[in-house]
Amino acid sequence: MSTEWYLVLSALLFSTGAVGVLIRRSPLVILLCLELMLNSSNLALLAFSRAHGNADGQVFALVVMVVAACEVVVGLGLIVAMYRRNLPLDVDEARVLRK
Amino acid sequence: MTVDFNAPDIDYAAISPQIALMAGICAVLLVSVLGKATNRNLVTSTSLLGLGSALGLMIWQSDRNTDLVAGALRLDGLAASAAIICIGVAIYAALLGVGEPAFFENGQSRHGEFNALLLTSVLGMVQLASAQNLVALFIALELLSIPLYVMSGFARGRRESLESGLKYLIVGSLGSATVLYGSAFIYGGSGSTDFGAIAAALGDGGLASDPLIGIGIALLTVGLAFKVSIAPFHQWTPDVYQGAPTTVTGFMAVATKVAAFAVFVRLFEVALGPAASNWQPALAALAALSILVGNLGALGQSSLKRLLGWSGVAQGGYMLVGLLVASEVGVNALIFYLAGYALMNLAAFSVIAIRERESNLGDSLSAVEGLGGERPALAWALTISMLALAGLPGTVGFFGKLYLIEAAVDGEYTWLGIVIVIGSMISLGYYLRVIAAIWMRSAPDPASLATSALGPIDGGSPEGEREASGSRLLIVPLALVAAAAVFFGILPDPLVDFAKDAGRDLIATVK
Repeated sequence: MSTEWYLVLSALLFSTGAVGVLIRRSPLVILLCLELMLNSSNLALLAFSRAHGNADGQVFALVVMVVAACEVVVGLGLIVAMYRRNLPLDVDEARVLRK
Repeated sequence: MTVDFNAPDIDYAAISPQIALMAGICAVLLVSVLGKATNRNLVTSTSLLGLGSALGLMIWQSDRNTDLVAGALRLDGLAASAAIICIGVAIYAALLGVGEPAFFENGQSRHGEFNALLLTSVLGMVQLASAQNLVALFIALELLSIPLYVMSGFARGRRESLESGLKYLIVGSLGSATVLYGSAFIYGGSGSTDFGAIAAALGDGGLASDPLIGIGIALLTVGLAFKVSIAPFHQWTPDVYQGAPTTVTGFMAVATKVAAFAVFVRLFEVALGPAASNWQPALAALAALSILVGNLGALGQSSLKRLLGWSGVAQGGYMLVGLLVASEVGVNALIFYLAGYALMNLAAFSVIAIRERESNLGDSLSAVEGLGGERPALAWALTISMLALAGLPGTVGFFGKLYLIEAAVDGEYTWLGIVIVIGSMISLGYYLRVIAAIWMRSAPDPASLATSALGPIDGGSPEGEREASGSRLLIVPLALVAAAAVFFGILPDPLVDFAKDAGRDLIATVK
């Protein structure tokens, strides 16, 4: 099977994620979209890893999964902190810093 | 039955600075858990001990030029000089953090958490500056960034801080994901994650114009531009700078740029060097855009932290010039500029931090009005820092810009040299406005300056908040960085010597 199909799928996932980060308003959905972007990279890495026949890409993908988990923990932590202060969970409302 | 395997040869002396930082993280966490929660001086001393020993070990190892940990990291002039600047900045930030009101919550000191995060972030920076493998690059980048997201949102009681943390997290992760996707394509095109092997595939393998590599370069450029806040990927910078606690802003404004530029240089000049003709025009356009957008955006800002955020975008554009000419002179100029940038920005941010603690005007321009008559020491430090950022002769900023322009002319990008000069002229418009506010306006109404027990930070503790003694001690490091910014502006040679190993070692790797 050709690598290209995997790359097309990963490009679709990456764009879906990127568009989601840019247009969605809920920070939770944005975090999901960021995950989608990271996982599309994983798919590309695994496809390339099979194509080249070396394991570098697979090791890279494992590392990415760990890092992605760390990022989500921090993101959820911030969202919980905002929720506890009754701040709106909406990135369009988060504009105290705009002048 | 014993199974033998070939353990990688680890040069413990060369990674000793990183080991010292690791030990520092553990020590800070233990001290803050076992000691009394309010013991901020003990925690800060522990953190300074870790940073100090890492700095000492790094200086001890700074003339090394060797691969580490099976080639994942490399210790050379570039890595050592970037690491020394980052650790120095972190020491400064730890001192600045002692009296930071945002680090108190309901009377409890949270310095343990701050210092542990600070050390973790510095560890990421030291590794990033020496990464020469895409996997190591990604891990180090995230090790640097994730603690910074937490630190930006550190003042949980303040809406601005939480908002800045969330914004930084979203934009930073977007940048990281883009870097990662770019790395995947570079790996796909070249079949390796090692910088040397990528360069070999691109150069001898003739893959420099391969479409996969092209996509990879574009994505890596965008991702790293997010991290160093190059226009048009800079929108987050003023917001995050303004919302984060000032200590954190000062640290991330300087140290992140240093580490990210170090890896930017290594990745583009070592791994992607054979494809230089593909990325040079793109980076040149980004640099010019960044210089113009940053300087124009800073005009008319009334918050000093926002102003420095915009100025950071412009300064990032200047630095990019040193990178894109892909020459020894360029790398040396970049490291020189980064060191100077650290000095001038730290001076500015500590004056802002001190004024924020003394008055309740926050970081607005009116907080420094009339400072010349009232607090001449602070006024001089801020003046020096503004003049240096503008690049006036007699300050380190002047030589920094001079070397960058020299590198641009040398690398046949004379027009970028002209853009730097135009940018500096625009920048005088806002830097001089700050200086005028310091010296030519009268101090605002004393009532608004009163050190009220309840400042702009709700949820802070009265006892920990306004400590004049804390800010008086800060005068010493502040005077040191301001004096250094002038000293290196008159006698740049020591700093030139400091920077020159970086370019030599890096270009030797490119061969």
